[in-house]
Amino acid sequence: MPAAAAIHTLIVDDQASMRSLIRGSLQQLGFREFREAADGEAGLRAMIAQPAHLIISDFNMPNLDGLGLLRAVRAHPPIAGAAFIMLTGRADRELVARAVQYGVNNYLVKPFTVAQLKDKLEGVFGPLT
Amino acid sequence: MTTALHSHHKVHIGQGEHFVTDDPDVVLTTILGSCVAVCLRDPALGLGGMNHFLLPEGAGAGADAGRRYGAYAMEVLINDCLKRGAQRGRLEAKLFGGGRMFDTLKDVGVANADFAERFLRDEGIPVVGGSLRGLGGRRVQYWPSTGRALQRAVTDSHVPPPVSRPPVPVETGALELF
Repeated sequence: MPAAAAIHTLIVDDQASMRSLIRGSLQQLGFREFREAADGEAGLRAMIAQPAHLIISDFNMPNLDGLGLLRAVRAHPPIAGAAFIMLTGRADRELVARAVQYGVNNYLVKPFTVAQLKDKLEGVFGPLT
Repeated sequence: MTTALHSHHKVHIGQGEHFVTDDPDVVLTTILGSCVAVCLRDPALGLGGMNHFLLPEGAGAGADAGRRYGAYAMEVLINDCLKRGAQRGRLEAKLFGGGRMFDTLKDVGVANADFAERFLRDEGIPVVGGSLRGLGGRRVQYWPSTGRALQRAVTDSHVPPPVSRPPVPVETGALELF
């Protein structure tokens, strides 16, 4: 189980406010290494340029959505092993089922709390504290 | 402009709701106390919508729980506009509400107004009009196709009391993965 501070995270969301909120929540949980991308395409480029251990990605994004990013990451061996947490809205149960099919590690329904984010992360990485 | 003579279809936006349309015959209406309504539109398409939200109790503009809830309320409105062809770079907003109500000691309206302004500033969406803060409630009408907005002051008794929301959202997803 890696310590939170050692986990390099890529945050992918087209809303700057949401990226900031996710970063703030991760900081509260001890995470220290972040990069950000504003859509799936930029996220994929960022991953290929410098792989991260964890991707937290929104679903609804221009250019390449969260599901497209997930599929692209899983299809690209050097980065295919990254943990992937998808952010979804309330009505996206079908999306979650498709994301599971494509190898998502966990999902988080917005608006989320820090405790819920921690639960989802620990479901992937084990206890963070 | 035939607005005054035209029969408009009214869609009322209650707390926690939002609606997006490009129908020129639709006027979106709401009544606001300390809640905030963000009217958002892409002027190139004549498409837009309105939401109506209240940050969770006790969550000031800087509090993460409130910001997370508000950011989600904004995201669903923005995403609905984008899904229907709006471009993020063309979006413009009018903000209403965040009033101080007579029967409350705390000025929760200010936190809602501060959040809305900060969110739009962070997202780079220009605010082109509206009316925030002040005393009492407002009745707002908004035509997304033209961006026209009308506001009327209403007395306290006409403003529905805000539905207080728990700081922690209840929805955690029905499908458990682990």
